[in-house]
Amino acid sequence: MQAVAHYTAYKPRPFTREERQHVTILFGGLTWKHERLIQATMHNLGYNAQPLPNIRRSDLDAGKELIDVGACCPTIFTTGNLVNFLKSEVARRGRDEVVNKYVFLTAGACGPCRFGQYHESYTMALDGLGLRDFRLFLLAQNQLDQGAAAGGGLEINLALSLGLVWAILCADVLTDMEYLTRPYEVVPGQTEEVLRESIEELYEVFRNRPIQGREGNKWKILGWHYLTDYFTDALERVRKKWEAIEVDRLRVKPKVKITGEFWLQTHEGEGNYNMKRWLEQEGAEVIPPPVAVWLDYLLHSPILKLEKRRRHERRARLKIAIIRALEHIFHRTYNRFRQALGGLPYELPDQEELKRLADPYYHYELRGGEGHMLVGKALYAYLHKKAHMICELSPYSCMPNTMSIGAMAQVQGKYPDMLYAPIEVKGDAEIHALSRCQMILTEAKKRAQQEFEQALAETGLTVEAIRAVEARHPELTRSTYRIPHYGYAGTAANYVVHIARKWRRALA
Amino acid sequence: MPIPISLTWFGKKRSAAPPPKDRSRLRVGIPKVLNIWSTHQFWVGFLTALGIAPENIIFSSDTSEEQYREFGKGRGTVDCCYPVKCISGHYGELLFGLKKKIDILLSPMIYSLPSFLRGHVLDTLTCTRVMAGPENIKAGFLKERDVFAENGVIYASPFVSLGEPAVVPDQLYEALKDILQLDYEETERAVEAGYRALEAFNQKMRQHSREVLTWCARNDRPCVFVLARPYHMDPGIGHEIEASIQAHGFPILWVQYFPLDDDLMDWLFGQEIRAGRIRSPFDISDVWPSSYSSNTNEILWGAKVAARCPWITCVIRFSSYECGMDQPTYTPTQKIVEATGTLFFKFGDLDATKPAGSIKIRVETIVHYVEKYSPEIIRRKRAWLPDPCPLLPSPEPVTQTLEPETDVARAF
Ligand code: SF4
Ligand code: SF4
Repeated sequence: MQAVAHYTAYKPRPFTREERQHVTILFGGLTWKHERLIQATMHNLGYNAQPLPNIRRSDLDAGKELIDVGACCPTIFTTGNLVNFLKSEVARRGRDEVVNKYVFLTAGACGPCRFGQYHESYTMALDGLGLRDFRLFLLAQNQLDQGAAAGGGLEINLALSLGLVWAILCADVLTDMEYLTRPYEVVPGQTEEVLRESIEELYEVFRNRPIQGREGNKWKILGWHYLTDYFTDALERVRKKWEAIEVDRLRVKPKVKITGEFWLQTHEGEGNYNMKRWLEQEGAEVIPPPVAVWLDYLLHSPILKLEKRRRHERRARLKIAIIRALEHIFHRTYNRFRQALGGLPYELPDQEELKRLADPYYHYELRGGEGHMLVGKALYAYLHKKAHMICELSPYSCMPNTMSIGAMAQVQGKYPDMLYAPIEVKGDAEIHALSRCQMILTEAKKRAQQEFEQALAETGLTVEAIRAVEARHPELTRSTYRIPHYGYAGTAANYVVHIARKWRRALA
Repeated sequence: MPIPISLTWFGKKRSAAPPPKDRSRLRVGIPKVLNIWSTHQFWVGFLTALGIAPENIIFSSDTSEEQYREFGKGRGTVDCCYPVKCISGHYGELLFGLKKKIDILLSPMIYSLPSFLRGHVLDTLTCTRVMAGPENIKAGFLKERDVFAENGVIYASPFVSLGEPAVVPDQLYEALKDILQLDYEETERAVEAGYRALEAFNQKMRQHSREVLTWCARNDRPCVFVLARPYHMDPGIGHEIEASIQAHGFPILWVQYFPLDDDLMDWLFGQEIRAGRIRSPFDISDVWPSSYSSNTNEILWGAKVAARCPWITCVIRFSSYECGMDQPTYTPTQKIVEATGTLFFKFGDLDATKPAGSIKIRVETIVHYVEKYSPEIIRRKRAWLPDPCPLLPSPEPVTQTLEPETDVARAF
C-alpha cells in the first residue's frame, strides 16, 4: 500500500494571544463610519485593527483575475479589495512581514448563498498571490459569544460582540443624520465636516468604553450596555454639533429608498456605482439602509422558526423568551440612540409587518440575500408613503436577489404606480444602470413636486410666508429640527404641513 | 401533449393504507424541476397515501426549448440560471398543455433535503434559487391576472424542510389542509409513507450502482462518474452528455446514487478515519468547511469518492450557466479529483441550447482519454487502498457483462 496526498482545504495557522500585540486584524465590508467605530471597539479591547481601503473599481479587476468565473459582484469586489491591499503591502514590506503582521477577519458562515462560501474565493485569491500561509478567519454573524478563535488571538466574546453591535447602531443613526441633512445643507460640505467630527468623537467614546473586555460576568456586560447613558450622552454631544448646520427644507426632492442585497445596499463607493451619492447629486434625498435592519432580521427570524417547531425543539419557549428579551434590548438601544439625536433617524421597521406585507409574494422562511425583506421593505416604503421611489441594488449573478426581484413582478402588477428601479450592478455597466435609474427618478421628481404643490394648496401657504416664519424662528432651519411625517413622502411637503399646523400663530 | 413518465424514474407506488377521504379523482400536477428530481418519490408516496390515484399524479415533461417557447414565454420575470427559468414552461404545460385538466398545481418550496450527508455536515439546505424558485415563477402567472384561477387550478406551494422529517407534517398540514381537506394524523402518516417510498427508491438505485461498480471491479473496467445536481439528469438540462459517453461502453454512475454500504465506505475512507483526518466517511470538513448546501456538499463528497475509488477513472462535472452555487466549487472539486490523477472534464455553462457538435467532439476526447489512461489510473489508485476489496469477494473475475438499459442509465 502506498501513501497518497489528497487535497485539503485551506486552514489558517493559529493566531495566538501573544501575537496580539504585533498583529493587525484587517476587516472591511461596511461604510467608513461603521468601520471606524468597529476599529474603536477593537482598540478598546487591545487589538490592533485596521479597515481595508474603501472599495475601488480596480478591486473588481483584481478579484476577477484570481477567482473562478461567475462569482457575484460582492464576492469579486471584496476579494479584489483584500488582494489589492495585500499586493501593495507585499510590495512595501515584503511577503513574510505581511503574512506575519496581518490577519483578515470577515463575516461568513451564514448558509445557503455564496455568502457562506466566500472563504473559498478568498483562499483561491491567496493561492493566486502565493500567500496561502496568510491567515483568514470567519466570524459567524449570528453568535454573540463564540469563544476564542483558532489560537486564542481573537476572542469573540460578549464584550466584543456588544461593542461591535453598539458601534454599528451608532454609525447607522449618524448615517441617517447625514442623508437627512446633506441634500438640504445651505453651506456645501458642512454636513461632511460635522459628520467626520462626530465619528471621530464617537471613536474616542468607543475606544474608551469602560468595559475593557475583562473576563467579566456576561450579565454584567449586557446589563451595562443596556442601561448605561455612556453612549446616549455622547450622541447628545454629537447632536449639538449638528445644530450648527443650516438647512433649506423647501428644496423639493424626491425621496429614494435604497434596498437590495446586503453588501451592495450598505456600501458607499465604487462597488455600487456610488449610487447614493449619485442620487443625491441628481437631486434626490436618499434613505440609506441601516445595518440594524439586517441584524434585527437575523435576530427575529429564529423566533418564527422556533414557534413553528415548538413541539419538536427542546426548550423552544425559553429560547423564544431569550430572543425576545434580546430583541427588546436591541430595539430599546436603537431608539435611545435615535432619541439622543433628537428623534431624527428613522425608526426600524417592524419585522412582523415586513413579513406580513411580503407574505403573499415571498415566503418569510426563504433565506439568502435579504429574504422576504426586499419585498417587504419596498411595500413598507410605498404603503406608508416613506419614499417616492425604491432603488433596488442587485448584484450581477446574485442567486437570492434574482428570486425576490422576480417576485416583485407580482407586486408591481398589483401596485402599478409604485416607482421601483431594480438596478443590476455588474461593476462595468455603470452608464446603463444610471440611465435606467434616471428615468424613474424623473418620474419621482414630478411626484415630489406635485406633492409639494398639493401641500401648499391644502394649507394655503406660500413659500414666502414660510420663509418669513423661518426668518423669525431660525431654529426651524437647523438640521436637528425634527419634521414629523404627515403622510407625504417628501420632506418639503411634510415641512409645509408642519409649519401650517404647528406654527399657525407665527404665520398670523 | 402526452406526458412521458419513466416508470423507473418517476414511477408510482400505491400506499397500503386506505385513504380516509375520497381524493381519488383529484388530479395533481407537479412540475418536474429542480429538486423534484431527487425527491419525486416522496411526493408520489405522500400523495398516494392520501388517496390520490397514482395515475392522477402528473409530472410535467422533461425540460425542452419547445416547452419553454410554447408554454413559458412571456411569463419570465427575471433572467437567471436555466434550471429555474425553465420552470415557467413546466407550469405552463401543466396549466395549458394537458388534455385532461389538473385540479392542483403542486410546486413545493424545498428548503432542505434528506441528504445522506445529514448529520455529518453543517446543514443540507437547498440553493436559495431552488427554495425560492416557485415564488419567482408564480409571479409571472399572477402579475397581470390570476392565470391559475382562470384555468380552474389551485396553486399549492408548501414550504417544506425535507431535511427535517419531524417538522414536515406540520408544514404540509398547514399549507395543504384547506386544499386537500387534511386532518393532521393522516398528514403525518402520508409524510411517513413519502419518506419510506423515497428511501426504498434510493436504496434500489444505490444497489444498482453497487452492481455496476462490482462489475467494473471484477472486470477491471473503468466507469465514468457524474458530479452534478439532481436536475442535470433532466435531458433538457444536462443534454444527456453522460448517455453519449455511455454509448461508448463506459458505465455511468451519478454521485446521488453511489452505494453507501459500510464495507465500501470503510474500504475507501477507513484509513483516513483511523489516521484522524476525518471523522466519518461522510465528513467533508477536510475539503469544504462551510458545508451548508446539500447538493454542493454531495458534489464535494462525490469528488472525494471519485479521487479514491479505483474504477472511477474519469469525472464529468456539469454546471448550469450562471450557477452561483457551483461557482466557488469549480476549483476545489477539480483539485480533489485530480489529486489522484483521476481524469476530470467540466461541462460548464449549460443552458437551453444543446451544442450537439461540440458535445460530440468533447465526448470523443473523453472517451479517448478514458480508454488510454484508465488501466494505469485503476492500478495506481488500487495500490493506495487496503486488501481485501469488498467488491472482489472471489479472486476469480466474474465474466458476466452488464449493460445498463437506457432508461435505467438515465437514473445513473
Ligand atoms: S446574496 Fe447574492 S450577492 Fe450576496 S453573497 Fe449571496 S449570492 Fe452573492
Ligand atoms: S444550484 Fe445553480 S443552477 Fe441550481 S438553481 Fe441554484 S443557481 Fe440555479
